[in-house]
Formats: sequence, C-alpha cells, structure tokens
Amino acid sequence: MNERPKFRFVSADRRVREDRRFVAGMGKYVGDIAEAGMLHVAIVHAPYTAAKIVSFDASRALAMPGVVAVVEGEELSTNVEPLMNGLDTPKVQRYPLAVKHVRYNGEWVAAVVAQTRAQAEDAAECVDVEYEPLPFVIDAEEAYRPSSPPVHAAHGSNVLLDRTFNWGEIDEDFAASDHQLSLRVTWGRSSTVPLETFGVVAMWDPWAEVMDVRASIQMPKYADQIARAMRLPGNAVRVHYDIDVGGSYGVKRGIKHTVLACYLSMKLKQPVRLIEDRLENMSSGDAHGPDRIFDIDAAFNRDGIVRSMKMRALDNAGAYAGRAPFQLGKPIGAIVGPYKINSVRYHAVSVTSNKAVQEAVRGFGQSPTNYAIETMMDRVAEHLGMDRVEIRRRNFIRADEFPYLIPSGTRYDSGDYHTVVDKVMKHVDWPAFVAERDRLRANGAYAGIGIAACLEPSGGNSSFEPLLNPANTTTTWMESCRINVDALGNITATIHTTSSGQGHETLASTVIGEVLEFDPDSIRIVRTDSLTSLPGNSPVGSRMAVMLGGSCYLAANKLKKKLKAIAAHQFDCAPEDVDYVQGVLRAKDGRTLKWAEMVNIAHRNFHLLPEDCEPGLEVTNVYQVPTGTDLPTADGRVQMYPCHSFEFHCILVTIDPDTGKVDIPRYVIGHDCGTVINPHIVKGMTLGGIAHGLGAALMEEFVYDGEGQMMAQSFMDYLLPSSHEVPQVEIVHHCTPSPFTVMGQKGSGESGYLGAPAAISGAVNDAVRSLGIRFNRLPMRMTAISDAIAEAKSKQSN
Amino acid sequence: MKAAPFDYARPKSLGEAASLLAAHEDARIIAGGQTLVPMMAMRLARPTLLIDIAHIDGLSGICEEGAQVVIGAMTRQASAEKSSLVHAKLPLLAAALPWVGHTPTRNRGTVGGSVANADPAAEIPLVLVTLDGEVRWQSEKGQGGCKANEFFAGPMSTELPASAILTEVRFPVWDGGNIGVGFHEASARRSDFAYVSAAAQVQLDGNGKCIRCALGIGGATPFPVKLDAACAALEGTMLDAKDIAAALVADVAGLDIMVDGHASPAYRRRVAAALAARALSDARDAATGVRA
Repeated sequence: MNERPKFRFVSADRRVREDRRFVAGMGKYVGDIAEAGMLHVAIVHAPYTAAKIVSFDASRALAMPGVVAVVEGEELSTNVEPLMNGLDTPKVQRYPLAVKHVRYNGEWVAAVVAQTRAQAEDAAECVDVEYEPLPFVIDAEEAYRPSSPPVHAAHGSNVLLDRTFNWGEIDEDFAASDHQLSLRVTWGRSSTVPLETFGVVAMWDPWAEVMDVRASIQMPKYADQIARAMRLPGNAVRVHYDIDVGGSYGVKRGIKHTVLACYLSMKLKQPVRLIEDRLENMSSGDAHGPDRIFDIDAAFNRDGIVRSMKMRALDNAGAYAGRAPFQLGKPIGAIVGPYKINSVRYHAVSVTSNKAVQEAVRGFGQSPTNYAIETMMDRVAEHLGMDRVEIRRRNFIRADEFPYLIPSGTRYDSGDYHTVVDKVMKHVDWPAFVAERDRLRANGAYAGIGIAACLEPSGGNSSFEPLLNPANTTTTWMESCRINVDALGNITATIHTTSSGQGHETLASTVIGEVLEFDPDSIRIVRTDSLTSLPGNSPVGSRMAVMLGGSCYLAANKLKKKLKAIAAHQFDCAPEDVDYVQGVLRAKDGRTLKWAEMVNIAHRNFHLLPEDCEPGLEVTNVYQVPTGTDLPTADGRVQMYPCHSFEFHCILVTIDPDTGKVDIPRYVIGHDCGTVINPHIVKGMTLGGIAHGLGAALMEEFVYDGEGQMMAQSFMDYLLPSSHEVPQVEIVHHCTPSPFTVMGQKGSGESGYLGAPAAISGAVNDAVRSLGIRFNRLPMRMTAISDAIAEAKSKQSN
Repeated sequence: MKAAPFDYARPKSLGEAASLLAAHEDARIIAGGQTLVPMMAMRLARPTLLIDIAHIDGLSGICEEGAQVVIGAMTRQASAEKSSLVHAKLPLLAAALPWVGHTPTRNRGTVGGSVANADPAAEIPLVLVTLDGEVRWQSEKGQGGCKANEFFAGPMSTELPASAILTEVRFPVWDGGNIGVGFHEASARRSDFAYVSAAAQVQLDGNGKCIRCALGIGGATPFPVKLDAACAALEGTMLDAKDIAAALVADVAGLDIMVDGHASPAYRRRVAAALAARALSDARDAATGVRA
C-alpha cells in the first residue's frame, strides 16, 4: 500500500515550466490586453449599508470629457438575466448593479464608461444618486432572528439555508458517553487576496455574433453562466483560456463584473475593459470568504475516544447568496476530520446580512471547519488532562481501515495518519520539542505548542450542490484532455481551462510524458477557448492533479492503444502482442516500428491503417470524477470528494508578553497527498497555504463596524503576512497513494491552509493557558492578545 | 484608483517653488511621494497642483555643521540609512531608519517628506523630537524654522507655515563617548505603521552612571513626544530596571494617547511603557558595550 510506484518523470525533481515566464515577467494577463477602441469602466458605489435608490441622474457625468455611457441597475436588469443562484431561493436575485435597493456599503450602483479609466473615475464622482436609508443587519445571530430586517424583502427572511443533518445514533452516543463539553469558536471574515485584482475584457462582435471574453477567471461553467445571463446561445460566448491569472485560490469568479462588461460591450459595440482597483476588490468585488460561528457539543469517553459531535455552523453570507451556502456543504465530506467519530449532527445555517458577498475561498469552508474540529480535540484533551497528540492518535482512522465510510456518506480513499504523526514526532524529537517550550516558559516567555491534524478533500466534485439543492441533479464534474501528434511527430495536448498558477502545463506534460515515455519538455500544452474546448470544470476543489492528471493519463493510454493497433496491423499480430517502449512499437518477434514510421503511417498511409481506424494520431478523453457520482440519499448522505490528503501540523510559538506579537520559531508539517506529480508545485502550495493560514489566524479580517462600514479597504488595514512574518517551514513527506486515481495522486492545492489556523490557534492558547485565557476567535490580533494577557495578569495580581 | 486631475510643476529653484506654492491655494509639494501618491490615487488627497522639488539643487545632502548634522529635505531615506556620517554621529537615527517603510519606499521616500507629513507612527519625526532637533523652511517671505518639539501639531499636522517649503532638518550630535541607543516598535508586521515606538539615547560616565538621557515615544500619541521628566529622573542613575520603571510611571500616565481602531488606548499606554523600558535598557547596554 505504501510502496512508491516507480516513475520516470512523475515525482521527479523537475522545474515547473510555467515558472520560467512568470519569473521573467512574461506572463500575459488581462491588464496586458489592449484592443483598439477599448473603453474603460469605473463604478459608482453605494455610500449606504441599506437604502432605497430614490433618484438617479447621470447628466453631469455624461457631459464630462471622454464619457461614453452611464448605466444603472434598472436598465441592466431589464436586459440581462439575474446571476446564477445555486440555491433554490428565487427571490434572492442578484444583478451586477443594484436594482432599486442597495444592500451593502460599496455595492455597485452604476457603471461609467469612458475613453480612459481616469475619465471614468472623474465622471463617477459626478453621478447624482439620492438614497433613502433603510434598516440593516450586520451580525449573523441577529440576522438569523425572525425579527431582523430582511436583506431581500421578497424572500421574507434572512435565512438562505437552515438544515439539520443527523448521521448516526447521535442521542444514543451522547447518552452512552462518559463526558460532554461545549464550545464556541468564530472564524472572522477573511479571504484570499490576489496580487492581481479581478479583470475582464469583453468584446462583442456584432458581425460574427460572438462575445469574446478574456478574464482573470477561475470558475466552472463560466461561459455557460455568461450566455444565460446575456440571453445568448452557449455557442455565442467565447471565453479565452490562454490568459494568465495572477492569483485566485477560489475568489476569481467575477461573474457580475463579466456580465456588466458584456452588456456594456454589446450596448456600445466596442471592447470594454473592467478591472477592479484594490479598493473595489476589497470592498465590493464580492470576494470575501467564510464568516462563521461554530457551536459544538462533543461526547467522549474517559479514554479520549470522541463518540459523537453536534455542530452548528452559522455563516454570514452577506447581501446575496453567492457561493457562501455551499461552503457550508463541502465540509460535510470530511465532517469528522481524520477521526472515527461515530455519529454527527450538523446544523448548517446561512443568512443574508448587509455585508459584501462571499465567494469561494481555498478549501471552500474546510479550513474554518477544521479549526472548529481541532479546537474541539484540544478541549477534549484538556478536559481529560491528556496529551494533545495522544488524543488524536487514539481517534484516528487506522491505515488498515480504508476505504473508510464516515457517517455523512463519504468513503475516505486511503491514509496512514499514525505513520505521518510518528514521522513528525521523530523529526521534531518530541520530548526535546516540549522541553524547548518549557525552557522558553522558564525564561519568562509565553510559549506554546500547536497541533492540528486534518484532511484535504480533493478531486472536486460538487456533490454539495445536489445535497443542499434537491432541484440540482448534477452527478458529474468531468475534466478533459485531447492529445494530437502532428505530421512531424510532435505531441500537443490541450487543456480546457485557465490557470491561476497551479502549474497545469507541468502537470499535463509530466503525466503524458510519463505514459508515452517522452521528455515532458518536448510536449506542447495549449489552452483552448470555450468554443473549441471539451467539457471541464476548472481548477476548483483541489481537483487538477486528480482530474486533469487522470484525463491526461487516460488520453495518453488511449493514444498508446491506437498506436499498438496500427502497429499490430503492420506486424499482423494481436495488439496485445505489441510492446510500446519510448515511442517504438515492437512485435514479439523483434520487428520494430519507430515513432517516425508510425507517424507517417497514421498521417499519410491510409492504406496501411486497420479497418475503422481514423487517420491521424488524435485522441480525446473526458474523465468522470472517480467517486461521488450518485445523488444524495434521502437522509442526507452523499459521497463527496474522491481523495483525502492528510496534513499534521506541529508548531512552536512565542508571544511577546508586552506587545502580544506572535512569533513562530518552529513550523513543521507532515504532508501526505499520495503520489506527487511535481514536488515543487506541492511544496509551493503547502508553503503558500501556511502563509495564508497564518494570515487568517493572526492578521487578516474584513472588519465591519456597527454601521456596516467595512474598515479594511486597503492593505494598510487588511494585513497580509509578509516574508518577515511567515516562518521557515519544514515539510515531512509521506506517500499513501489513492486507490481511486490513475497514479495514486491526491490533491494539494489547499494544503497548509487547512490546518495552519487551527495549529496557530492551538499554540497561542497553549501559550496563555496558565493565565486562564482562551482565544475563541480568529484572527487573534496581537493587540487583542496583549490586552487579554494584561487583563489576566491584573486579575491574578488582585 | 486614479488621481483626480492635477497640474504638475517642476521648479528649478526654491524661490520658484515658493512662488508657485504661494500662488496656488490647493498646491502640494511632492518629494518622494510615498504617502502623497497613494493618498491621491485613493482621492483622499486632491491637490490641483503638484510642485515637484526633486530637481532643485541643494535640497539633498548630509553634512555636519557645528554640533549638528544637517540633512537636506530631499535626501532619500535610503541615502541617510547608508550614510557613514549618520552612523557615526546619529546612532539613534541610524537605528530607526531601517524601520521606516520598506527598502523600495526608502529608496524614494525622503527625510524631509517624512517630517513634513507628520504621521504619528513615523520614525524620523520621533528621532528628531527625541534628540531636540530643529526644522528649517523657506517661503516667499524668507527663511524660518523652529524646534522639533514645537513643530508637530497633531496627526498629519505641523506648524509649517501654509506657503513654506521644508528645506532641512537638524539633529544635535552628542559629544563624548559611552553613548548608546535603543529603538523598538510594536507593529502587526515588520515595518508597518507602528502602534507604538520608543527611541532612547543615553550617555554614561566611566562608572556606568547615566549623565545624559533622551527618550521619546511615537505611534501612541498624536505626534511624537519626548518624555522630559523621565529623562531628568534617569540622569544620575545606573539605569537599572527599577530606575527605569520608576522614572517612566508619571510620564507614561500623562501621555495623550491616540484613539483609533488599530489598538486600544490601554494597549498603547502599556506598550509605550514596555518599549520605552526596552529602548532604555538597550541604550544602556550599548553604551556599556554589552550586546543585547
């Protein structure tokens, strides 16, 4: 099970091919596109948290230099369909611009189109809008109360989703347990904040009747959503995938920006560019992440075994549904983490509020959920006076129990959690690690150890959609690959999505090179557009190693099969009796056909081809997700993602007793994502994920004041960790291949981020435990840590 | 994030710059632009005329004049950071400069710009106040100047006359040996705007007794302040922890603490005391040759 398969290129220390152009500054981004006659858009933002639009007057703006048009929500909403709403809540309608009402501070009210962005911004200041303020609600608990003012009056309440799942014999397990405890933790609203903000260039060609879209996008079914909103046939929208995306991790889903730009381009018959500036990205780009309160009851035995868990997760979606409710759904696929918890009650609540809209963020709700589960495990250990590593070991699923069915219906593919923990314990020399913490404490420092064990569900299907919305019956989230060998014998493969830095070209060429035994660097990878592409679902849910890798593997094998059939026809033998070695086809009797000869036959010698064999050397594969292809059961169980990577964080922190600043002198992560396709990509994902998690744990938050004003609109207030704050990370590798994937690979695009906040929280809490302090909310800002320490000290001295 | 429309002038002389400034009500001087340009991009600053003083001769440079080091207003922070004169004569400024923004912002940002901008969290104003420095300016009416402790009036606010251009800042040089400095900041990230900063410079006699002490607090207050009473109380002591703690109590309690969303007033006051103590003990150790 744990044997590493022998590969030639896969897992090898090979350069990431995309890095060359990025490092040289030669990426091609939306901001690099300059179409002739391209117009620019600036946005008029709502200055109220909730208000009725009483009057709208663009006459002053229209008279300004360079201004071409001003469009507001009422015009737009009569010409486009509402944006896709994944839930069955038809009265919660969302358009790119506010229609009659504004629902959060900063919401887009109008678009000003001009020859330059500066002219558009000048004119945007001169659009006169009169508002009548309305009651609003910011806090999720308050929004959940029936008495709160509904953000969408027609919907009647703020509740988007309120569903309780009962998986297993919860009440019986609680009754039979020795102990119970309750806790509440809160995950503050943060996000992934990309270096490149969202941007789109839309160009309507009235003669070809095609809408060309180039965007900084990472979204499934983007072209379909544009076509639906624009009332165009699907084949009238051409999304170009050969655009580099400057960071995403989920949030690059600017559908409102895109539909607006498409409408403006169609109306004005000119290319239109809309690129968010940083203020727009942060206040109203609709790209915030989960904003969640967890209430947990745990039932456990005196030996530390956690038998049952009740979890309520209340998420503050913001003003429109967006993807927020579904981010409560995906964690169902790993709701017990790596533990054998026998039964679970999960109460998922999503409410609207007068905050900005959420978008998908790395892990799709999994990192907050892991933070809640891991805090629970720490509390159970504390309650029993047990070691925090030991309690996890006792509850882990054992390596010989896989595939393992969890109460909510997902079958975990594989794992060897105990071994990964053993390796990390050995790497850090656990007794010495603990002694180091105690030495720091003896010297008067606040020092703590943090432990977090969690899973990265990967291979992204979206079974949470049919689970939370019975009207949705989707059971496939395919990915595709097409390989063509040209008449000169060179190999080109197509992939059918944009990249936001995941290294798809390296992934695809490595896998195809492995199968066909060709140097991956000799294989050309091209990105198509949505009109020439095969079906696909874009890189979400840590899926590309599994799904694109799987499709490339199967396509390459299909090509090999075709080559063998052609060769067998020449050798007059059965295809099974033909060997393929580094592009050479060999019969049992020793006759061979070289690659060039095979190419010549396929491309030029139809008379030598077997019957029913198409000329040329072209194959396609459309790959279904390996598991999770059934609809949910009536009692709310469903197979979520196919693969489950494992990570185990073991960290040491110190806290400056005066300033409250947290330092992380040691950060170790044990990581098992099965077969690694390219170790540099996995390492980059993991390090970046830890940096991202550090931000969520200690710094990053979109803070709203009581009036609904967002207080972190720039990088002065929304604090991303810099290279000074991110610690050196030591990675301890392990490989438990997945039995469900073509090469044993699992996902790694969310690694590090999924456990880092839990580990950092655990470490900070360990550091201040002697003071009787608990931090139950992220981010834990240094000022708040310091204030809590000072308060505890003054209580102690009294 | 495009600035509102503005005109741009690049005068060749200080006189020309001063005339432009006097003639335009909404004109602003631009030096390194590291604060002004982002403020303009966010349309929080909307000058109608930018007067770029980068091309005026004689506004940059660092030299010694009597018991002072004079730094021209246009001197880039990076130049000051690398200056051997600053390192030899102004160890406190040398200790503070690496905390000013980041390398790229110090390459553009100027010493005079930081002083004129008067951000409460800025390091250079703190050092200037702590060392009892001076500020000089020029307007159409002629030259003027004042002591640093009279110059700063509040957050982003100074006593610089409306149509005056800051031309130089002057830092007193301490005479003699056994001088040590300490500089500390509390900020969420290295080189962020400081919630609190503390700067200390001390001189000891041959027995380790403090004969001269300068201590200032920044970030916590609307503008940097020198803790005069604490300094006076510490002169004549051995600067041990008890001396320091006792000397700080009254001055820190009397600080006019700034209120904003970043840190509680209690945090700023508490951390001001803690960082002041650290800066002083670092300064003492440096003066006695003990490495922290």
